[in-house]
Amino acid sequence: MLHGVEIPQRLIELSQKSMHTVKGRFLQPYWTESFESLAETAQESPPVSINSRALSTLITPLTPVRDGTPIIGIDTSTIKIGETEAGIIWAVRAAVVWGNNRGYRYLRLGPLPFHITEENKHAFFGGSVDHTFLNATSFSSVSAETQGRLCNLIERWIQASVSHSVSESIILWDGSLTAGTPGNPVSQISHILEAARKNRNAILAFSKTTTIRSLGWRITDFATRYEPPCLFEVADLPLSTSRRIHLLGRIYAANLSRGGRSFRLDIDRTLSREQGIEAVERLLGNELMFQGYPETLRLAHIYSTFTANDVIGIQSFLKREYGLKIINRRSIRKALFGPYGTRYED
Amino acid sequence: MRLFRKVGNTLHILSFPGEDVEKGGYLLIEDMKAKKAMIAQVIDIQFANVPGVMEELLRSPDVEDQVQGDDVDPFGIMSQILYIQDARLLVCKIYGTIVNNGFFSDNNWLPSRTDSKIRKLSTESLMKLAGITKGLPIDLGETQDAAPMIIDACELDGRLNIITGKKGTGKSHLSKILVLGLIEHGATVVILDLNGEYTNLGLAADGTKNKHHEKIRVLTPAQNFKVTLYKTNLYVVMRLLTNALNLPGASAREFRSIWKFLEQNGTLTLHELGGAIKRWKCNQHVRDAMQSRYYAILHSGFFTDNMAEALDFEAVLTETDKKGGGAIVINLKDMAPSDRKMVVEYVLAKLQEILSQWKLRAVFLFAEEAHLYLRETYWDDIVTRMRHFGLFTTFITNQPNTIHENIYRQADNIFLLNFVNEHDLQAISRAARADAETAISIVRDLPPHYCLVLGQVVKDFPIVVKIRPLNIKTMGQTRYFFLKEREKR
Ligand SMILES: Nc1ncnc2c1ncn2[C@@H]1O[C@H](COP(=O)(O)OP(=O)(O)OP(=O)(O)O)[C@@H](O)[C@H]1O
Ligand SMILES: [Mg+2]
Repeated sequence: MLHGVEIPQRLIELSQKSMHTVKGRFLQPYWTESFESLAETAQESPPVSINSRALSTLITPLTPVRDGTPIIGIDTSTIKIGETEAGIIWAVRAAVVWGNNRGYRYLRLGPLPFHITEENKHAFFGGSVDHTFLNATSFSSVSAETQGRLCNLIERWIQASVSHSVSESIILWDGSLTAGTPGNPVSQISHILEAARKNRNAILAFSKTTTIRSLGWRITDFATRYEPPCLFEVADLPLSTSRRIHLLGRIYAANLSRGGRSFRLDIDRTLSREQGIEAVERLLGNELMFQGYPETLRLAHIYSTFTANDVIGIQSFLKREYGLKIINRRSIRKALFGPYGTRYED
Repeated sequence: MRLFRKVGNTLHILSFPGEDVEKGGYLLIEDMKAKKAMIAQVIDIQFANVPGVMEELLRSPDVEDQVQGDDVDPFGIMSQILYIQDARLLVCKIYGTIVNNGFFSDNNWLPSRTDSKIRKLSTESLMKLAGITKGLPIDLGETQDAAPMIIDACELDGRLNIITGKKGTGKSHLSKILVLGLIEHGATVVILDLNGEYTNLGLAADGTKNKHHEKIRVLTPAQNFKVTLYKTNLYVVMRLLTNALNLPGASAREFRSIWKFLEQNGTLTLHELGGAIKRWKCNQHVRDAMQSRYYAILHSGFFTDNMAEALDFEAVLTETDKKGGGAIVINLKDMAPSDRKMVVEYVLAKLQEILSQWKLRAVFLFAEEAHLYLRETYWDDIVTRMRHFGLFTTFITNQPNTIHENIYRQADNIFLLNFVNEHDLQAISRAARADAETAISIVRDLPPHYCLVLGQVVKDFPIVVKIRPLNIKTMGQTRYFFLKEREKR
């Protein structure tokens, strides 16, 4: 299984190319912030609210279908490694996890380091980059948006690769099927969904949190009131979203196992409603649910996430491999601006 | 290796895989800018508290885990991450500072984290720096970095030593190395050999005579070691009666009178003594008390009236000294406890007598499990008066708490073999010469035949030594019931 999944060579090249620009630079290591929370906000779809009529919406009870459908989970993590004089170094790791007869297997890519600078950011994100971030002199600005874009970029590549190479499978994504946010063009996701459909795959996107609210309730709270497994459809509701935002999925609150939590679930809108629900039932029949969350996706998350140990390891790798001079915050200014630089400090 | 922090006289140093540093090894922390270097000994090796390792371990698939997979790691970063994960924290005790090639016991400066180079300090360099001399060499074996560990016999001279460690770790073996080293340099050594395991010091493993053969004299009480009353001073006999045989004070006074009476008549023999006690006018209780002690002396076989079979212990000692040193093994094997005590009283009293009269310069005494035959008051005597007279003792025991605290405090050299028992570790930590933390931490992990040497012989730089083998016919090892079965294995 997954023989066909090719690690996108261009991704590796992009990483390597970006890292050529880093040789001999200063690196101000990034230590404290846990990326976990950042990642959520970066990838989270924008807030949508449901008006009060929503409450009449239908609940769909689910019956697990055990038919041997392969389940594949994909997740990606990025973490900031540090800042150089010219830009920011991020590391990305992607994990694809699937079940086999004896348990689970994973395919992991990375850590891939990326040095993103004013000069090379267009190569990554095209022309639509907001000029206020990655300003070489604003050292304290941590650009959540750049990070989100990078994460998206890699995630989409992996997702595309999996959609092309497997068939008749259920592919689980972390996040939503919302497009139109910066670095997340509609066309890209549409293409991946189309490729998946061609191979008779179904894509289900699970969000761990959701900001869709109605009358002060998070939509995920509705589903929790009903006997699992069940889906609570939100997609039909008049959702007030911004014009740019495209919901490429039908949105559900999914309460999939007893004692578990409910999650926002996006299902490819171009599938019929019945096909979508059937995909969830096949997921239930062929996958372990851990507290209402699919195990492959949970593992993909665990295998891609960075620990503090990873970050230190990557920093020391960069130092060794690229001759980066690791310095603390104060001395980078001195190194750059001499004693006069100090007045910029807080 | 990187300097992490300094707490008091302890350094914490981060070490990475491949920099294989051993517990007990020495490090040199050279501050290039300050032009000073610190000497520190690794006393413990712990996992470095690398952040995130717990998560890493929890998620990394191990062999039995169900989750397996492949990593595409084009940069090869994972190996660096694992490398960091395997970082060790070396807890090191600071021993001093080197400035301009001179050694000072100064711990009160802080080497720079960035300008310090940390490297292993070879035992050879350490010995040079510490001024560990090899004057009269005794070869103990090898250090952890395979340098020969040679100590100076002069550093045992005039000293009080302890060899301790748990059962079967090689205490007696090390003691034999010291004994043979001392006699090679002409010293006179007396061994209180509880288990008769030094009796073959003069024989090689194959049973042939070795080069020490002529210098080893084995004295077995009641066999080739018998003495006459005539040649024994009254005060020796009195000590023997009161200390070894617990003769009460009143009876002791009567006995003294009997002895003086026989001495005046020139009839100081066992036979006459027996008759005199019987006839002596005294209280029946006193007579009974004297009589029972008399029989104890008689039955020990240690005393004789036959001048021909009696041994002149003093002559044995002085001759040994004149011949250029040697070991006198007092074989206490299979003796009744009271007989053993009697013989030890006799030997110690004689030694004291000879030494105080300057008939001998000094004697090295090796005492195995001394608590089994040494009376209470002797412990203090040995470290004070006897030492003053020239009796230099080495205690060997597997029960460190049987050695008096006073002895620990005054010991000049301590040879520690492995201990695991907390009580034992606590006991050895009382030694003033040893930094308790160092001793306990290192000794816990010593393999058999490895010894942590502390004190004067190593100029207070604790050094771990793998004690060399000896080509000596052994016996008196730990006894086994299933000996044959063991040998078959
Ligand atoms: N350094 C060494 N090299 C080789 N063999 C050794 C060494 N040290 C000890 N041995 C052997 O190990 C065995 C036990 O040693 P030894 O009798 O000296 O131990 P011990 O600590 O005195 O034991 P016990 O507590 O029983 O008195 C003996 O057979 C001895 O020959
Ligand atoms: Mg022994």
